[in-house]
Amino acid sequence: MDWFYIQGILMLAGINLIAVLGLSLLTGFTGLFSFGHAGFMAIGAYLGAFMTVSPTTSPAGLGLPFAVGVIAGGAGAGIVSYFIGRITLNLKGDYFCIATLGFGEAIRLILNNVQLFGGSRGWPGVPYKSTLPAIIIVDILAVIFLANLVRSRHGRNMIAVREEELAAQIAGINVFKYKMIALVVSAVYAGVAGVFFGHYMTFIQPKMFSMTKSTELTIIVIFGGLGSISGSVLGALLLTALPEILRAFEIWRLVFYGAAVILIMISRPKGLMGGMELTPAGLRKARNERKARILALKESKNGQNGEAGLG
Amino acid sequence: MKRTLMAVAVILTIVLLGCAGGGKGDTIKVGWFGALTGDQAVWGENEFNTVKMLFEEYNNAGGIEVGGKKYKLEAIGYDNKGDAQEAVNVVKRLTGQDKVVAILGPNASGNAIPIAPVLEQAKVPDIATVATNPKVTVLDGKVKPYNFRVCFIDPYQGAVAAGYAFDKLGATKAAILYDVSDDYSQGLREFFKINFEKKGGVIVADESFNAGDVDFRPQLSKIKAANPDIIFMPYFFKEVALSANQARELGITQVMMGGDGWPSEQLISMGGASVEGCYFVNHLDYADPAVQDYKARYLAKYGKETELNGFLVHDAVLVFVAALQKAGKANGEAIAKALEGIEVQGITGNIKISPETHNPEGKDAAILKIVNGQYVFQEKYAAQ
Amino acid sequence: MIQFLQQLINGLSIGSVYALMAVGYSLVYSIMSFSNFAHGGVIMLGAYFGFFALTLLKLPFIPAFILACAGTTLLAILVERIAYKPLRERNAPFLYFIISAMGASILLENIVIATIGPTFRTYPPVIPRTPIQLGALAVGRLDLIMFFISAVCLTGLILFIEKTKMGKAIQAAAYNIKACALMGVNTDKIILIVFGLGGFLAGVAGVFFGMKYTVYPQIGNITTKSFIAAVFGGLGSLPGAVLGSVLLGTIETLVAGYLSSQFRDLIAFVILIGVLIFRPSGIMGKTTVDKA
Repeated sequence: MDWFYIQGILMLAGINLIAVLGLSLLTGFTGLFSFGHAGFMAIGAYLGAFMTVSPTTSPAGLGLPFAVGVIAGGAGAGIVSYFIGRITLNLKGDYFCIATLGFGEAIRLILNNVQLFGGSRGWPGVPYKSTLPAIIIVDILAVIFLANLVRSRHGRNMIAVREEELAAQIAGINVFKYKMIALVVSAVYAGVAGVFFGHYMTFIQPKMFSMTKSTELTIIVIFGGLGSISGSVLGALLLTALPEILRAFEIWRLVFYGAAVILIMISRPKGLMGGMELTPAGLRKARNERKARILALKESKNGQNGEAGLG
Repeated sequence: MKRTLMAVAVILTIVLLGCAGGGKGDTIKVGWFGALTGDQAVWGENEFNTVKMLFEEYNNAGGIEVGGKKYKLEAIGYDNKGDAQEAVNVVKRLTGQDKVVAILGPNASGNAIPIAPVLEQAKVPDIATVATNPKVTVLDGKVKPYNFRVCFIDPYQGAVAAGYAFDKLGATKAAILYDVSDDYSQGLREFFKINFEKKGGVIVADESFNAGDVDFRPQLSKIKAANPDIIFMPYFFKEVALSANQARELGITQVMMGGDGWPSEQLISMGGASVEGCYFVNHLDYADPAVQDYKARYLAKYGKETELNGFLVHDAVLVFVAALQKAGKANGEAIAKALEGIEVQGITGNIKISPETHNPEGKDAAILKIVNGQYVFQEKYAAQ
Repeated sequence: MIQFLQQLINGLSIGSVYALMAVGYSLVYSIMSFSNFAHGGVIMLGAYFGFFALTLLKLPFIPAFILACAGTTLLAILVERIAYKPLRERNAPFLYFIISAMGASILLENIVIATIGPTFRTYPPVIPRTPIQLGALAVGRLDLIMFFISAVCLTGLILFIEKTKMGKAIQAAAYNIKACALMGVNTDKIILIVFGLGGFLAGVAGVFFGMKYTVYPQIGNITTKSFIAAVFGGLGSLPGAVLGSVLLGTIETLVAGYLSSQFRDLIAFVILIGVLIFRPSGIMGKTTVDKA
């Protein structure tokens, strides 16, 4: 395998991972399902490009350093998500889903018409700044921040919201507030991912941020396993690489991709790493749980046979 | 956990299988990419088939002489769904892993633009087929060293369409219907509008739809009320056929005009009587004796008619082979150098790649009219 | 005035296409409480079944139509058995169903591209394209037939659900599927029937879509709009799906006709989100009470 090619896939996986980590907090830990995160990525990508594109290339560029672009992209997406959250977070299940879908599509439709940024013809000339080390550093920071967040009191509250919203509310958790935190954090992550994506592609176009992109991100989160950060990391790596690996199948490639998605859903109920973490403590915990399960199974077999199937 | 391990093992095997096999000493590998799946697959399939067919013909004839030695050509093609992100992946794979010396395609400008930095890193030239956005080869006033194309560009096509509509067809009021979410459509619409207004024409309706739409009657009803002399429809033949049918159903009788997204056997079979008497700007004249041979060969080999893209990728292959022979060695950098200023008689016309813009210089557009379900050549028309 | 009436006719015609598709979404949602995104893929195959029955088998229209609907009925059941049943048996959360449905939709679309090919197909002319002229207004013949067939299908469906014993069971399952199972209703059979009905409707939608427009592997994408229409009207409610579709079609048309076609979908989405803010379960949706 050639490093030039592998490196490209790793960079894309790393960029996807930033967005996936955010979505993992929203979907995996808080239980909200979004179809619109490509919209936040678009906001990040366009704001980032707005900051960094040289004014000689495009009338809409400021020519500022990349770091400014990253901060602006993340912050911009976060701010927009706050307002979106204000109006949509009270919606339930599929209705929240469709509202985010509407938002994501709306962003794309607006960008199609903004001639300053090239409209649907796209915006070339974004500087190439997303290097592999930069992406890895951001990935590591993103994982550390997220791991600390989900282990904190706030993180436990979010999980409570996911598990039983009503009960969480009765227990005194401000459900709306924690949904909002999860949404804003995930949007900031998506925005940063968008900035890196734009500065990797050196060209951005509204159709890159379609609903398909949003669903891809969500598929990665679920594939990796809800409520697992290491699952998201593995999922982003595997699923970004999967279409490339399947190239050998030519036009049957996406047939296999679709089949793989169904297969993982029906055969691994919790995704690759549902609820588990690839840390020494996490592995110990998983092993203990497994032992306990086997033990319980043995005991139930020793007991009355008829009850073994229940539970 | 066992299942996960199994899955990983399967994936690894596939990866290793994918890596197996390398080129032999007397084979030159050439990349192609485009959409074999997704909504642009019609054109991708046609391009790749043409490349494979031409390479096979070269190889059956004993190969190509480069620097005094005969080489066979091998086409390595990948699908990118028409997606820009996959375009970048595919070009990295073609240049990094497959070590191709040049890449043919893509047809979409949005895929040809982001691959430029990858080509520059890998020092491998790309010859785009119908990517008509000016920014594919030139950005910021500087020509991109490894991006080339064999087609004319949007500003030119827009000017031709506007000029022909105003000067030859005598239209002074034009209506535009375009796909706002498509870069090709938006580009062509912009240059048509600019040129038509510059000539003194008026745009009486400027309506749009979104990719995936199949019903255009709301926009068409509005266009009908604006009563234009001509309707400009810069988008692809599926939508052209649908919107033309719906326009006629609504009682719109005006002449319609389009660009190089129109020509296809399917436009006639789907659009039928609705597109009768309409005009479009094309890269070539289908009745030209020069193209008959290719058309017949394609039909014989694949059992279906070639699309427009086939003609252009045909010429991209000719240009590549000429550059390869001029360079005298199978090296991307040398081929890119050789491409600058090269002159080839293609089936779509004489192609002379300008070193300043990497576009084919002075390629005239052909105006075609649909008469009795046939594409009837009107004239070669150069925009003023 | 003429233009306004013509736009209303256009809107109703677009709305009725959405309606045929949206009812399938709503029907499955009412039982399973998830959006069956594979529905678009089944519609697409329905269009192909009809096309091949007409062109390859050279059947007359009615048998071809029935064959296509039978095909999609089986297909929808097959999708349910493969992609959803294992999840159902595990009580998986609705997210898993949606992802599995998306996988199925990607699978169906690409199987067609890989086997039949990506080119568009045109239905042979069954019904003349020339519209009926009412003064200056043009009304498509196919639109009228579609309107009629949609009305027949929907009335039939509503009668089936309201009047038959099986329909009662479906209603009960829609209300609370677990309780229904405890009362001795064979919920597996009910789900089978519901998916079969959804598939049948997909066949109807597919064939008419193919006749009215064309057949191509990405037909499924247009069903996103009909899904929005179903949400608009209230998921799980059949009259809601129809109402939502007709409203969405009309709003879209009027926006394109009188405001801006560039921002048509944007305005449609804003209206959608607006409706959801004031009526979080759509116009006619059953208000979901958290059954904790």
